[in-house]
Amino acid sequence: MSKRRPPPDPVAVLRGHRAPIMDVCFHSSKPILFTGSTDGELRIWDTLQHRTMSSSWVHSAAHGIITVANSPVIGIDKVISQGRDGTVKLWDIKEGGLPRVPALTIKTNSYHFCKLSLVKKPYTNLRQDKAPFHEHEEDLETVDANILYDREGNHKEDSVECSGTFEEDSIDGPKFVAIAGEQSSEVEIWDLNTAERISRLSHSCFGGSPSISTDKRGMCMAVQGYLPTESQGFVYVLAGYEDGSMLWWDMRNPGVPLTSVKFHTEPVLSLCIDGLCKGGISGAADDKIGLFSLDLSTASCVIKKEIILERPGISGTSIRADGKIAATAGWDHRVRIYNYRKGNALAILKYHHATCNAVSYSSDCKLMASASEDTTVALWELYPPQS
Amino acid sequence: MEEEAKRRRREVGSRVLDKVGEVISAIKTAKHVDQVICSLHSLAVLLFPLDPSLISGSLDEGYREQVLNANIPSAEEREEWWQAFYRGAAFPTLARVLLFDVASNWLPCFPYSAKERVYDAFFVSGLSTEVVQILVPCLQPNGNDNLDVNAVQSNSERLLLLCFLENDGVVQMAREFGSAHQSSDFTSAQLKPVLSRVAQIVASIPDKARPKASTSLSSHFFFKHITLQLLDEVQERVKNLPKEAIFNESGSDVTMLFVGETFSRICRRGFSDVLLGEVIPQVLGDVQWCLSSCSDPATEEVFEANPRSQFWLRMMEAINDSYAVERMSEQLLHQLAIEQATNIEAYWTLWILFNRVIKNQPSVRSMFVYKFLLWKVFPICCLRWIIQFAVLECPPVANSLTKGCDAHVLLDTVQRLVAAWSKREFVQSAPVEQQAYVTAAIGLCMELMSKEELDKSKDVMHSILQGVSCRLESPTHLIRKMASNIALVFSKVIDPKNPLYLDDSCIDETIDWEFGLTKPEKRALPSSNENDEAKTLTISEPEKDLNYSRNNGIGRNNKGENKKASQFKLVDPDEIIDPATLNYGSASDRDEDDEACENSDSSSDSSLQPYDLTDDDTDLQKKFTQLVDVVGALRKSDDADGVERALDVAEKLVRASPDELTYVVGDLARTLVQVRCSDLAVEGEEESVEEKRQRALIALLVTCPFQSLDTLNKLLYSPNVDVSQRIMILDIMTEAAQELANAKSMKPKHQSTVLISTISENQPWFLPSSSGPPGAGAWKEVSETGTLLNYSNRYERELPPKPGQIRKGKTRRWSLRTPNMQENQLEWTQNKFPIYAAAFMLPAMQGFDKKRHGVDLLGRDFIVLGKLIYMLGTCMRCASMHPEASALAPPLLDMLRSREICHHKEVYVRKAVLFAASSILVSLHPSYVASAITEGNLEVSKGLEWIRLWALDIVESDVDKECYMMAMSCLQLHAEMALQASRAIETAETTFKAKNVGLPSILSKGTIRIPFSNVEY
Repeated sequence: MSKRRPPPDPVAVLRGHRAPIMDVCFHSSKPILFTGSTDGELRIWDTLQHRTMSSSWVHSAAHGIITVANSPVIGIDKVISQGRDGTVKLWDIKEGGLPRVPALTIKTNSYHFCKLSLVKKPYTNLRQDKAPFHEHEEDLETVDANILYDREGNHKEDSVECSGTFEEDSIDGPKFVAIAGEQSSEVEIWDLNTAERISRLSHSCFGGSPSISTDKRGMCMAVQGYLPTESQGFVYVLAGYEDGSMLWWDMRNPGVPLTSVKFHTEPVLSLCIDGLCKGGISGAADDKIGLFSLDLSTASCVIKKEIILERPGISGTSIRADGKIAATAGWDHRVRIYNYRKGNALAILKYHHATCNAVSYSSDCKLMASASEDTTVALWELYPPQS
Repeated sequence: MEEEAKRRRREVGSRVLDKVGEVISAIKTAKHVDQVICSLHSLAVLLFPLDPSLISGSLDEGYREQVLNANIPSAEEREEWWQAFYRGAAFPTLARVLLFDVASNWLPCFPYSAKERVYDAFFVSGLSTEVVQILVPCLQPNGNDNLDVNAVQSNSERLLLLCFLENDGVVQMAREFGSAHQSSDFTSAQLKPVLSRVAQIVASIPDKARPKASTSLSSHFFFKHITLQLLDEVQERVKNLPKEAIFNESGSDVTMLFVGETFSRICRRGFSDVLLGEVIPQVLGDVQWCLSSCSDPATEEVFEANPRSQFWLRMMEAINDSYAVERMSEQLLHQLAIEQATNIEAYWTLWILFNRVIKNQPSVRSMFVYKFLLWKVFPICCLRWIIQFAVLECPPVANSLTKGCDAHVLLDTVQRLVAAWSKREFVQSAPVEQQAYVTAAIGLCMELMSKEELDKSKDVMHSILQGVSCRLESPTHLIRKMASNIALVFSKVIDPKNPLYLDDSCIDETIDWEFGLTKPEKRALPSSNENDEAKTLTISEPEKDLNYSRNNGIGRNNKGENKKASQFKLVDPDEIIDPATLNYGSASDRDEDDEACENSDSSSDSSLQPYDLTDDDTDLQKKFTQLVDVVGALRKSDDADGVERALDVAEKLVRASPDELTYVVGDLARTLVQVRCSDLAVEGEEESVEEKRQRALIALLVTCPFQSLDTLNKLLYSPNVDVSQRIMILDIMTEAAQELANAKSMKPKHQSTVLISTISENQPWFLPSSSGPPGAGAWKEVSETGTLLNYSNRYERELPPKPGQIRKGKTRRWSLRTPNMQENQLEWTQNKFPIYAAAFMLPAMQGFDKKRHGVDLLGRDFIVLGKLIYMLGTCMRCASMHPEASALAPPLLDMLRSREICHHKEVYVRKAVLFAASSILVSLHPSYVASAITEGNLEVSKGLEWIRLWALDIVESDVDKECYMMAMSCLQLHAEMALQASRAIETAETTFKAKNVGLPSILSKGTIRIPFSNVEY
């Protein structure tokens, strides 16, 4: 057997932050990367030139940012930042830089470690267009999301539909955000348009299965909201808790979760759902990574594969849009790449010399960014999609 | 009847005296040699059976008549006369005349036959005991008479040779004593003084003989002969004696007494080796004969029954002189060891010689069990014999020590040995060889003891533990090894299943009691060599095979790749080829294909080839980049990993010498000293951790000497550190001093600019002035060709670039400095140490003699003291030839001179002092010594003189060999220093004289002694 290739080095390293970086997020269509650090700085990077485009202290330095998020759901030129000061801010970046004042500020009064989640919509098979990514830059203004999410011959009907609604939503539909609430054991859903809380999903108010005591779940540590095609515009939420259990909620029925499972023995730290919204990956403070599948019709969450780690602690997970590979950000400074379908390890990326806090894939599947406490962001190109 | 005999004897005696008087007067008045011969003959005829015709040939007519006509008495008459002559006063009187007057005046004229018959006969055929008493004093005549001393001496020597070597004089003496005793003329009590006097005289002969006397009279040769003669004679006698007489123990044999007396005198004169050289082969022969005669293990009865062994017993009994016995037995043991006697032979040899004496004479017993075990040093095999014979008191079985039934002697001995062994004084003062010997004795004895026996006396256990513990503290490895060996044996006695290994090195079963002190003698055993060769030959065959098959194996492994190549390479036609192995490569190939197929199943995943998934956690360990963090981590003693990592980086960080270093030096030094390496390191890796810690401390001392020394010196005498930490502090100070001394650093050369410009420069007037920018080259004449005569000489020189001017070269150098600058304006300086020397030495020297809580350098912590002195010595060496050395030498000398230090009980300390003293000698500049003496700096000159005297004292009196050697080299260094200094003084003197300045009168105050010359300054 031939010796395996050594794992690759990052293609670029973005330096500029002065504090540990908590979250990283690609722009859904432009070659732009958002990063937020613990000193409250939000940076916008050009991933082609590897330069900072804009930088601003959007939250107080004492509290810092825990999440940055961008999705077509909230608008192409919008970015959300969540600070540990109990606020979520929406920023308009149309001018190419960060404005002084946020477009919207929500006071959630939640002071915890749970990253908020924008509502994810399924896209069946996000294949990049023949055109290379950077060409989009020129026609930033003109490019429609339609083109981006244009799919090839094998697309289904519902996804066309979904795409249709997506465009509308992005303009005036409800823009939901799932956040661990003021009561840290609750999950709250907020509407970004109105800055109102829509719903509170609390596991303490249901009589649930006796096997899992409600008090024991503890804080909500990770949350992921999504909008399955079958749900007629109602948000489903997957939430991970301090005791390692996960609950699956239907927004329409906030009293009782659809199901509850417990894969982990330690707090669930990150959840990520794949592009089809048929499964996901969970990282926790223990030495396990769970690959699970979600079946809405039977309301069941089944673990497909459990990956055992050498060293515990996964603070971030991300599945590439094409659903082939997944990445985890580990406390052990490593970024690990897995074959999402089979669950076998593909690479252990050693670059960071501090805890990794987040990983994120660009929507064209070409780049991956990892954010670390060592104040750097590394960009990687692994298994680029064959076109 | 009795009366009659007496009367007759008296009568004969007076007649003999008359005759002798007659002869003497005849000799005195003789005018011719023949007259002397005649008169002597007339007496000789009366005493000895003599054929006159034999001497008459050489005489003149008249005298011949006289000789031939002498009447020859009967044999009985002669016997009567002989007895009267020798036992009375007649012989001494005549002998004196013969030996002095005749020997010097007439003897050279004697014809040979006459000399032999009428002169030598008086001595050779006389009563040997009397003869020897007369003869020997003549070897050293007092020269008051007008005699030819030389002639007298050589004649006496000749006669002695005749008596002793050619005529078995000693044998005759022995017989004479024997017969004297038998004839009951004398009681043995009366005989004894005579006997010992004669033996004394005999033994003194070689010493009294002139150095140029014949070699036969040399001690070695003479004693050897005497010994042989006596042994032969006595054995002959024993053989001829009836059996009852042999075993008749009461009858003390005077002959034997004489033999014993003579032997003891020989031993006293220091020739026991000669004596034993003759005795041992015979005894060994007897023992071997006895051993071979009985097939069973030899018993005492076998030896008892042997008459020859009885002889040896008696001989030893006859030697009363305990000193001689000791010398003999010592020699016996050594020679047996040289002869490589087996244990059994040696035991029986000892038994034959000493078995009765050891029972009857307590002095002999104490000699064996006390002196030979405690005070003397024998080879280990001898030690075994001594223990077997004197302590175990039973014959050995099969070459190993065997324990008899009675153990109380063993117990007593062990108790006594251990009591002496456990004392600290013994460890301090006894030479290493003796310590090893006593240790071996204890070990060998204890191996034979049981737990119960050991329990019987509480003292033994206590002493053993005490001895072991005080040895384990010793700085010498060998002594610690002794302790661990004894502890091992002890633990084996207490619990055989659970031996205690204090030392990793002594894992093997048998303990080396020789401690490697004796070098194994190389014995030439050609046969064994041959065997070895044969062995290697036989071994080499299978080895070849092995290599071959190994190669094959490798080949097989590679077959997957170069299968075809290897098929051609097959060499061995018999090789068994396993088809499976041949197919192995392709099989694995197929496997891979399978995998590939599997991978390609899901065509979309084909690109997802995993990368190398190996992972290690080296990068995960927290790295320290700040010295503050290092200090913090070192303080957390519960986080072993953190401490270890901090130690890993400490040295590098310190060497980088960051700005923060100066602020943390103190803390860092303190924490580094106080880190407990043994607690945190993995088993077996303590060394490397310790090493790292020390490297870090050394780096600290080198980069930041003053601040870190401040802390370390405080710690050195602080009650909060233990001995090992103190030692470590001193060690690192030593190493740091050396590193500083060897450090090279570049510094800009000091440009000696001339402050006063002189007109008369040392260059020709026609050259342009040499003034100019620094670094300018010398003027050179520009050579111009073409015209022969040129009125204007042109000169050029190279100038250094002006500031701001950049010289462009063809090669690019990333340096602003021009190479010229580097060469000219930088210099290497060496030895950064001297400026720090005082900081290194003075604080450490201050508190050595104070006894505080936990600090007792002069007593318990002597190792620290030794290390301290060694450190100071090293510092002196590092600063040698610098002015600082001269400044620091006096206080150091003061310290060394203090009584508690230079006469410390521990060898270790004395060695360190010797080292420091020689370091001072080496490091002082001769001119400084010279000036110290001329200017009357008493401190230095007295100190140096003290070194000499003290080293002399050590050379004379120290027990330790190494100390002796070091003191010798110290003396040598002193001599060299003195020589250098005296040269310096001489040059000073000449310059003084040249300037008409008298030497200061105080010159005489200081003194340097130069050995082998009487010059004293």
